Amino acid sequence: MRYRNIWSEVPPRKVIATPSRFRRGIGKYTVVVSDACNHCLKCVVVCPESVFRARGSKLEPPQDHLCLGIECSKKSNRCMANCPVSAIRVGVNPSVKALGDRRWTADLLMSTWRMAETGSLPKNDLEYRIGGSQGGFDRLRFAFPKRLPKPDLDKNDIDTSITLNRRNDACERIDIPIPVYGGGMSFGSISQVTMLSRIRAYAAWGSFCCTGEGGYPEILYPFDDHIITQVATGLFGVREETIQRVKIVEFKYAQGAKPGLGGHLLGDKVTPAVARIRETVPGSSLFSPFPFHSVYSVEDHKKHIDWIKTVNKRGLVSVKVSTPSDVDMVAVGSYYAGAHIVHLDGSYGGTGAAPDVAKKNIAMPIEYAIPKVHKFLVDEGIRDEICLIASGGARTAYDVAKAIALGADGVVTGTSDLVALECVRCHNCESGRGCARGIATTDAELVGLMDLEWGTRRIINMLWCWRDQLREILYRLGMRSIRELVGRTDVLAHLDYNSNVQDDDVREAIY
Amino acid sequence: MKYDGSFADKIIANRRRERGPIDSKRNVKTADEGGCGVTGFACSIPVAGRHIFEPSIRMHNRGNGKGGGIAAVGINPDRLGVSQDELDSHYMLHVALLEPSCLPGLKETCFDPYFDVAKEELLEHVRDYRDIEGLEIRPPEVWRAFVRVKPAALEKFIKETGLRGIDPRQAEDEFVSRNTFRLNKQLYSSLGEKQAFVLSHGRNVMILKIVGYAEHVVQYYQLEDLQAHVWIAHQRYPTRGRVWHPGGAHPFTGLNEALVHNGDFANYYATSDYLRQRGMEPLFMTDTEVSVMLFDLWNRVYGYPLEVIIEAFAPTTELDFDLLPPEKQRLYDSIQTTHVHASPDGPWFFIIARNIPETQTYQLIGITDTAMLRPQVFSLYDGDVQIGLVCSEKQAIDATLRSLADEDPRFSPVADKYWNARGGSFDDGGAFMFSVQPLENGGRELVCQNKFGEFVSVSSRKPLDITKAVRKPEQQARDIDSALEDALERGDAGRVFQYFRTHTSWWDYNTLRWAVGRMGRMASKSAQALPHVLDALTLLIDRRIPLGDKKNSALVRIVTNQLYEILRTMPRITGGALLHHYALIDADTRHHLRPPIAMETTLIVDARYFSPEGDDCDASLLSDAHKMGWKKFIVFDLRGQRFQGCGFGPKTDDIRIDLYGSSGDYVASGIDGMEIHIHGNAQDQIGQIMKKGTLVIHGDVGQCFLYGAKGGTTFVLGNAAGRPLINAAGRPKAVINGTALDFLAESFMAGDPLAGGGFVIVNGLTRDEDGTIIFLDRPYPGSNLFSLASGGALYIRDPDKKVVNEQLNGGEFRELSDADWNLIRPCLLENEGHFGIKVEDLLSVDGVKRTPREVYRKIEAVPLAVLRKIPETDDSVWATEKARAAL
Repeated sequence: MRYRNIWSEVPPRKVIATPSRFRRGIGKYTVVVSDACNHCLKCVVVCPESVFRARGSKLEPPQDHLCLGIECSKKSNRCMANCPVSAIRVGVNPSVKALGDRRWTADLLMSTWRMAETGSLPKNDLEYRIGGSQGGFDRLRFAFPKRLPKPDLDKNDIDTSITLNRRNDACERIDIPIPVYGGGMSFGSISQVTMLSRIRAYAAWGSFCCTGEGGYPEILYPFDDHIITQVATGLFGVREETIQRVKIVEFKYAQGAKPGLGGHLLGDKVTPAVARIRETVPGSSLFSPFPFHSVYSVEDHKKHIDWIKTVNKRGLVSVKVSTPSDVDMVAVGSYYAGAHIVHLDGSYGGTGAAPDVAKKNIAMPIEYAIPKVHKFLVDEGIRDEICLIASGGARTAYDVAKAIALGADGVVTGTSDLVALECVRCHNCESGRGCARGIATTDAELVGLMDLEWGTRRIINMLWCWRDQLREILYRLGMRSIRELVGRTDVLAHLDYNSNVQDDDVREAIY
Repeated sequence: MKYDGSFADKIIANRRRERGPIDSKRNVKTADEGGCGVTGFACSIPVAGRHIFEPSIRMHNRGNGKGGGIAAVGINPDRLGVSQDELDSHYMLHVALLEPSCLPGLKETCFDPYFDVAKEELLEHVRDYRDIEGLEIRPPEVWRAFVRVKPAALEKFIKETGLRGIDPRQAEDEFVSRNTFRLNKQLYSSLGEKQAFVLSHGRNVMILKIVGYAEHVVQYYQLEDLQAHVWIAHQRYPTRGRVWHPGGAHPFTGLNEALVHNGDFANYYATSDYLRQRGMEPLFMTDTEVSVMLFDLWNRVYGYPLEVIIEAFAPTTELDFDLLPPEKQRLYDSIQTTHVHASPDGPWFFIIARNIPETQTYQLIGITDTAMLRPQVFSLYDGDVQIGLVCSEKQAIDATLRSLADEDPRFSPVADKYWNARGGSFDDGGAFMFSVQPLENGGRELVCQNKFGEFVSVSSRKPLDITKAVRKPEQQARDIDSALEDALERGDAGRVFQYFRTHTSWWDYNTLRWAVGRMGRMASKSAQALPHVLDALTLLIDRRIPLGDKKNSALVRIVTNQLYEILRTMPRITGGALLHHYALIDADTRHHLRPPIAMETTLIVDARYFSPEGDDCDASLLSDAHKMGWKKFIVFDLRGQRFQGCGFGPKTDDIRIDLYGSSGDYVASGIDGMEIHIHGNAQDQIGQIMKKGTLVIHGDVGQCFLYGAKGGTTFVLGNAAGRPLINAAGRPKAVINGTALDFLAESFMAGDPLAGGGFVIVNGLTRDEDGTIIFLDRPYPGSNLFSLASGGALYIRDPDKKVVNEQLNGGEFRELSDADWNLIRPCLLENEGHFGIKVEDLLSVDGVKRTPREVYRKIEAVPLAVLRKIPETDDSVWATEKARAAL
């Protein structure tokens, strides 16, 4: 018998429309059709976004997440004006107020869902670039030159790839076609379907995704060449074999969301499956200590890297650190110890599991840390030999571009992948196994809420749209490659100091 | 002693006046550096500088070549061009001239008006620094001068500072120190070009440092033949790459001391502030400078005794404090109250070399922090000469001793005693000092004391003179020959060992050497006897036997030499297929590695010239050989090489590795099934993430042993240092026959041992030089045991119930059940097989056999309420606090 095993297959890199897995997507606007409706189906004809669909001669419940907004509906040639019985009402969805938070506003969540569904930007007025935090990336704008760039620049030729190994050593030379790879989320903290969806999507893009600290489930083996295995302070599930399988090994010293704090996985969450992968005992609470007990100082760190290099001679070594005030010294120390990638994890990131008191309160904001480290590495004369990756609150393609303009080579994402899978940011990741959306859970029933193929496509689509946006941004800046953008703080404006910057919206060019 | 409130008050007031208002913006560290490699030794005879060379090279990988330094105390005046009297009485200035042209001006402003110069010179050095391989930056010119303060200048200083009435020497010391401060401030730390700074200014103390490795100092300034009683060296690992001058390198000086440091302060700001309030101002902006300033303040200004200074650095806390005698508690309490905000927080380990001119004593001191976050090993050899050593790694100690023994037969390549200090403890205080004191006959002797002044010594036995030729012992020769031949014919290495065990104490060194040599002869004659000879020699290295008036270090030396000699005569791998079980490979022939052919079973690796890590290390060779089909490995003459057993991948059940010599860090990390025997002490991070297999350590083991281990069975003959089994999960089993310094089984998560989980057995014993078992007074002295553990169990031999509840931060005592005993008995039997420690001996207390329940106690993880409850708020940190308070 022949069969396809999508669980071990790298899917094609293309946009396939992948609508919400729930009956009605959540939209910014709500469209209500009252009982007065006579099913004349005029609305189906006039709506440009197929909010209204007919089944036979009957009008179906409206797909209001597609609605372009109140303004549109009032136009003379659109739904409200054309309804003979005035049965249609369009208004702002009241649940918008309850959705999201300052960093991930309702607009940002919904625009990301839209990207994950269609691979392109929302057509309505959803904000897709920044959140509402009034700080960080949200206060930065791209200052595009007024004149459009060289006519010989073809958008499709713009290169968004980056090189991960910039040392001239015997290790693998790895280029990834987008300046993004997936950050570590462990098995146990997210479901197997979520984990595999992310990995398959990044594999489709020729990029990488990190396992997090929870071990290396066998189901990931087909994707070895696209996996970063994490060696974190708890060393759970780290075996020589897991280190040898992969091309990149990541040391996690700290997480920007909770530097100086270790994690713990409560006994409840240590199910037999989780325990097996982590090589622990089911039901026994697991702690990650806050430091690496074998690394109390930088020469220990070198020894630690030497150890990994003894186990896996060709693999790259990435060092993930949070952003203390002396992060520049840490980065330089890592370079001299032999790391290929320095991964700065700033303070904005973190899912619901990081304690609130730590989140946003301890580490340095990433937009300060990146240029600090970048400049320091330039002054040391070693910037060209190390790959600087930033993470911690990169939510959108604009955040990615801004991080790169500040001095990073690339960006690691985490939360945005989960948002693409329709995470609503309810912050209940840590409380037991009850993720309402079946994303951050190991509960057998809840896991069934999501389909692997669906999850994979959603993330591929989002990344597709991100790549398009990055190209558009580079196009407007007259750059041929994302590598030209690194450290170009001159193309950014900070609203605190320069309030009359033009809007940097590129929506019209993308959809 | 010399404490006089008014002296300290005056000095501090004076310094503050001179310094002016505090500029607190300057409390910024300019370079982060974590750890480094530190090494030092003190010897009863002066020793040439080239012997600091070898340990420095062995610790290259603890530095990065961006800073190295050495210091010498108690220097032989012959090569200095001054008399012993001048050397003792004059201040020995070393000034690094970053800008050599500044010397005349510098002398004119800082020295000519105030000092009488007995002798001055520019230090000789290698003409072109590029002739020294690896040295990339030109070391500074160094101006050396032997000076005294002019009487008139001193008189004026005493008058101005109001120091009248005190010992003029103290005033002179202060003048010299203040003069140096002014010079450094003017020519080094003020804005503008850095021109010069003072390296050292004490009496009979020399400090030199460069941008490079420590051994380059010896080479560049041609110190190979300069002799001194105390040497220390430091390999620095500054995180900043571009360093053009050695201002930040160690050692730093106070007055008559030199300090090197491995670690990093978390409270640099607070300690700098403390110093500023006392009129002192850091100019080089590193932790080390601040450390030595604290030492100088407490020592010279406040006149504290050394014990008090050590307490101020590393406070005694928790159970250790409670176990101190009441009068000590009162004293320490007031020290902590006064100085705790200056005591360095974070990982640190200091080595201090100092001269105490009043008693003509040269001293080497090692102090570890209370939490023991940095590795440290002390050792002592007492023979015709005495030497005490302190290093970051044991292998550096071995390298020093080897270097000395190669040149002078009075030294031994094996020390009599190796040990770790337990930071901030009631028993040793976490610090040891080696003092080289003058004797009445004009010679010198070395004594070792702990923080409390208690002497550490080794039993006085006859040292071995290796230069003597071995003669055939006419009386015993026949008996020995027939006994050995008989045992080897039977293929019974244990019998050979037993023979030595019962006979050695009657023999002299000559007979012992002859008997061991005979075994070498028998091995070379008969291929059949060879493996048994190897086994028997290994037993003699691993175990201790009654030796009469002979030293165990001598036995180990004799047997090790013999073993290496046999191994080096094995057929080489380049020689083609011989009908032999062994093939020898070394660094030169490593490219000829090939699969085993014919009868070959065991690959013997001569580790001597292998690099400690990287592609050319012996560990890589082992894993490559494994891929070719080799299963058994003997690695010998290790000199700190790391990672043996790593990189083999999964499922290695049929592999066995035997390691001889000074094995390095990370051995057996991640092994999955193989068996590794470490013959001798092991270093740090051994068995990290070990999954399966057997690890036997015939000695002590270093920091963070079995960190994150998931399984396997481990046996340790001696002690484990700090944090053994931290974060171990799954089902690891470990038997530690000695004890652990502290933090044993922190965050242990090994489930229920009776249902397949993991456990540790601690026997709390030690052996004397003849191998007799002695049970420690306290089987586990540390203040922390099982902290935050969620699973696993500890079985501790504690018939006197010395372990108390206060030590358990996350565990509780349980009665030992029959099921428990059935679980640990097989482990103890296996332990008996490895080390000869009999289960019946473990079960007897003062000669009376007891039941297991009376002898062993079980400690289990207590299910902590905070870990069962899900915090009600997002704010889990607060929730944890609350829950803890509620408990």
